[in-house]
Amino acid sequence: MADERIILVTGVAGFWGNRAAARLLEQENVRVIGIDSQVPETNVVGLDFIQADVRNPLLVELLREEAIETVLHLQFRESTAPTENVFEQNVMGVSKLLGACAQAEIKHIVLKSSLMVYGARPDNPMFLREDHPLNGPKKYGYIRDWIECEKYAQEFREQNPGATLTGLRFGHVVGPQVDSPMTRFLREEEAVTLLGFDPMLQIIHSEDVLSALVHAVNGEYPGAYNVAPEKGMPLWKTLGLAGKIPLPVLHPLAYWSVSLGGPRLAPMPLDYLRYPCLGDMQKMREELQFTPQYTPEETVRELASQQRIRKLFGKKNAQALDEDRLRDTIQRRKRARARRA
Amino acid sequence: MASQDKLDGELEASMQDMENPLSSNPPDGDQGAQALDRSGGNGSAPKKKRRASSGSSGAQKRVAKKTTGKKSARGKSTRAARPRARERIAFDPELFELPDVQEELLADPSLQRRSRQLGQELVHQVELVIKRLMRLSPAYKTQLAVPAGMHDAIGDNIESALEGSGGTGLVARFQKLLPGEMIDLDTLRGMWTMLKFTGEYQADVVKRRLRGEYETDEWGMDQEFIDAVIPLFDFLYHKYWRVTLNGVENIPEDGRALLVSNHSGQLPFDGAMLLLGILQQHAAARFTRALYASWFPTLPFVSDLLVKVGQVMANDENALRLLEQEHLVAVFPEGYKGAGKLYKDRYHLARFGRGGFVKVALKSRAPLIPVAVVGAEETYISLHKSATLAKLIGFPYFPISPTFPWLGPLGLIPLPTKWYIDIGEPIPTDQYPEGSENNLMLVSQLTDRVRDTVQEMINDRLRTRKSIFKG
Repeated sequence: MADERIILVTGVAGFWGNRAAARLLEQENVRVIGIDSQVPETNVVGLDFIQADVRNPLLVELLREEAIETVLHLQFRESTAPTENVFEQNVMGVSKLLGACAQAEIKHIVLKSSLMVYGARPDNPMFLREDHPLNGPKKYGYIRDWIECEKYAQEFREQNPGATLTGLRFGHVVGPQVDSPMTRFLREEEAVTLLGFDPMLQIIHSEDVLSALVHAVNGEYPGAYNVAPEKGMPLWKTLGLAGKIPLPVLHPLAYWSVSLGGPRLAPMPLDYLRYPCLGDMQKMREELQFTPQYTPEETVRELASQQRIRKLFGKKNAQALDEDRLRDTIQRRKRARARRA
Repeated sequence: MASQDKLDGELEASMQDMENPLSSNPPDGDQGAQALDRSGGNGSAPKKKRRASSGSSGAQKRVAKKTTGKKSARGKSTRAARPRARERIAFDPELFELPDVQEELLADPSLQRRSRQLGQELVHQVELVIKRLMRLSPAYKTQLAVPAGMHDAIGDNIESALEGSGGTGLVARFQKLLPGEMIDLDTLRGMWTMLKFTGEYQADVVKRRLRGEYETDEWGMDQEFIDAVIPLFDFLYHKYWRVTLNGVENIPEDGRALLVSNHSGQLPFDGAMLLLGILQQHAAARFTRALYASWFPTLPFVSDLLVKVGQVMANDENALRLLEQEHLVAVFPEGYKGAGKLYKDRYHLARFGRGGFVKVALKSRAPLIPVAVVGAEETYISLHKSATLAKLIGFPYFPISPTFPWLGPLGLIPLPTKWYIDIGEPIPTDQYPEGSENNLMLVSQLTDRVRDTVQEMINDRLRTRKSIFKG
């Protein structure tokens, strides 16, 4: 089986690792080895699961012995609290994994990151290019971890010019099953906003995230890429589509409350509800050659209608009765056909 | 210095000084110079220095004197002024032979009455806009129950039908149509149906927007929002400032172009007027995307409003992207230095930034179109800039005028001066070789050329302008 590609997916017990492994296995001539410190709850058919942590020093051996060509690293916990345990998993995980990859001379690595690493600041250009400095908050849980991971990735690129390291920086991920900062924000009863501020947001569907990861695994795309739909959407519009009642708070009070250790108000730093933090999608379009299939409106509508129906009829009927979803699906397939033609 | 705008008598003296730069006197200048530096004028130092009658010193004293002691100081001036050696642009002494705002206002009681009237109407218009905005976005009104919103909407409609600015109200129009003063029942019924319909329509708009069903472009521009704000600016443009726009044909029918304008008047109304003028009078009804300073995004409501009416934060990346999308872009390279100009420095252009706008134009090969706005300088009389207060509340400048901050928000009502906006001939940038944006020599030359053109256009207009309020 010489023509078989062998891909290592980390974090297969988590949402992203699990889905991505399943997506990769849909292709032919692919063998997927999944590692995680925990056993995945949902079984992926054809997945070669090894119970191991990425921080294990013997990872190099594994990489060499199994003749792995591509590593897709998806073990990352989006935790808002900057605890030592999570830092250990997220940042030390990446650093140890990249170290092992360098030693085992792995030529192709794909990392998942977020547009939030650029930071939401008043003097940002409206659309940030990939070479913009990473000015995100240095103390905020998962964003700090992402920035640290990006730094390791940059070092790796400099030290291993022969290897291809793809970093995908996604917009706010939303999807019916995802647990991301944005879905947490949209699922809360009342969404806190800052009075008089309405920044643009870039929202990407979880399915598009998976497609982009698979796309990056299948090709050779060195460097970092912003990945999100071209069009942004104002925060208030997003909340409206999600059927949320915005709760405007005076911004000095909100900042004050957070800095004094009061309620967290939102699962992201307040600056992201105040200033825009949008990526420029030119590189995605032209070099990565990837196009998200879902419009941001469809993504948020799907989340909202799922929640609404689930409340009334339970989880089982949610998909069957979802009119919005089917309408959007029809539209999306039409667009895809038009694009192919 | 701060006493610069004093007296016509002094003006003559100072002009003689201009011709005779060697005549200097021992200045009480240190204090004055400090006051100037504190007021943020380091880049925009007045082009010449006129000394008032001997002995007056201290910024506060001068400010107080300016508002009251106008007449008493007349004639006492000595030839004490000292010109600035740093004079660079074409200074035109004729600028200062124009009548002063206060003099003109005090001399004509009918002007005062008219100005007060317009001020009241402006407040009313602002109230109407706020009401319309409340309907568009719940951000402007925290709790919004739909029936109440509908009542509001109907109430406002009746209000605007009855009052309507300038007697164009529905009822007034109906009464003109009917013989005598009789209004029959059917007319009233018809009116009611119409009002009910618009009320319901507007309630629908509220609900629809609450559901998030509206469109913005990638920069966040929201057409419905613009429709709600435009009446206020219409009023300002046509009635309040009676803007005369010249040279609109210099703006291309389509394709990229960079408008470069002077900035004045404490609040950025000049951008709004330029935008509205081009939108209404250009053959292709082009929409201008003006670039605003990075301080505005930090302000609640202001940031929201600017984004929704299609304005964009000023930096090279944004300007380049807009131009590459073939937009018409307006920049105000003077920035805060221009907007926060003291009254005495009026119509003296400040430094044109670092020439970033020229680099952008060269890189995108967009023509530079100079624009001169005359009249905006006199809308507020900024006598002094308080650095302490500005620092305290985080503003880039804090103007002190005869009315602000003493009268609170009412002190923000601008004076109804007559405005002229002149759009000059385009300066092409496509004849330069590629990569010219890195030629610092060329960039600074072009920057100066644009700046001098704008200054010349201002001078030309000032020469022919007879009155600040009547044009």
